Amino acid sequence: MKDLIRVRSLISADVEMLLNQQVKKEAYSSAVYLSMASWCNRNGFDYSSDYFFKQAEEERQHQLKFYKYILDMGGNAISPEITGIKQEYNSFREVFEEALDQEISVTQSIKNIYARCLKEQDFVTNEFLNWFLKEQREEEYKARRAIELFEVIGEEGTGRWQIDKHVGDIKYNSEA
Amino acid sequence: MVTTLIDPQTNTWADVFATKAGAVYQCDAERCWYVDFAGKVAKFDYRCLLKLKKAVYNVDIEAKLLETTKDPDVEIIFICACDHTYILTLMQIIALKEILEGTFVMLQLNSILQDRIYRVAV
Repeated sequence: MKDLIRVRSLISADVEMLLNQQVKKEAYSSAVYLSMASWCNRNGFDYSSDYFFKQAEEERQHQLKFYKYILDMGGNAISPEITGIKQEYNSFREVFEEALDQEISVTQSIKNIYARCLKEQDFVTNEFLNWFLKEQREEEYKARRAIELFEVIGEEGTGRWQIDKHVGDIKYNSEA
Repeated sequence: MVTTLIDPQTNTWADVFATKAGAVYQCDAERCWYVDFAGKVAKFDYRCLLKLKKAVYNVDIEAKLLETTKDPDVEIIFICACDHTYILTLMQIIALKEILEGTFVMLQLNSILQDRIYRVAV
């Protein structure tokens, strides 16, 4: 009896499902960042707004990377439904704290898929995920650094204005 | 119930999994599966078989069992872009789910065997 499923698809149904969930997660992240960009812009934090617009675009690119990978491997990529995006934040700091939470949740989710692929010996998908693991290092670093700015600059006086100005300069250029 | 069928073009159907309620066969030549259930033999390709699995697995059997309304316990299994529709009672849903679970375990086992016997260099 031929192995008809393997002929059609490189990835297993379980991995395909997890990758589709990740597509949704990345799309959700992108939408959250867009909402953060709007909030920052409305409240006068223009540099942070630009920063979140860029982040939203990056997440969208990640989503497409997963999406195309599923299709290339013979799977069924599902265009996700995104609802429940928070539109209002209580403070400037809360925006960045939630951005970091979001990145941590993405990292954990990718680690989870990686573990599943190792279990199935799906090294092809693992190799694909390596890029994302490296990307998450940068994403988490940037989000954590932004919160650090609140600590080192302080929110008193013109603090928030200073923080906003420096958010756009956050870069991760580790050679490691 | 027929265990092995041979159709006029001599395409052989291999048994994948069978219970008292029905069976699933694989046809290598046509690259598809035949599901013998609820009085008909229906042909499913890879995508449709997965959709059938999803549709059946998504029926909340427990909720249906606990439901006290007078509605008949009939489920319509409709699969988009597929020629077949099933109208099943709850008992049939349970039976079909059992067949599909067994089928996918067997297909996975077949995959492992193919890997071990033909694909992996020893």
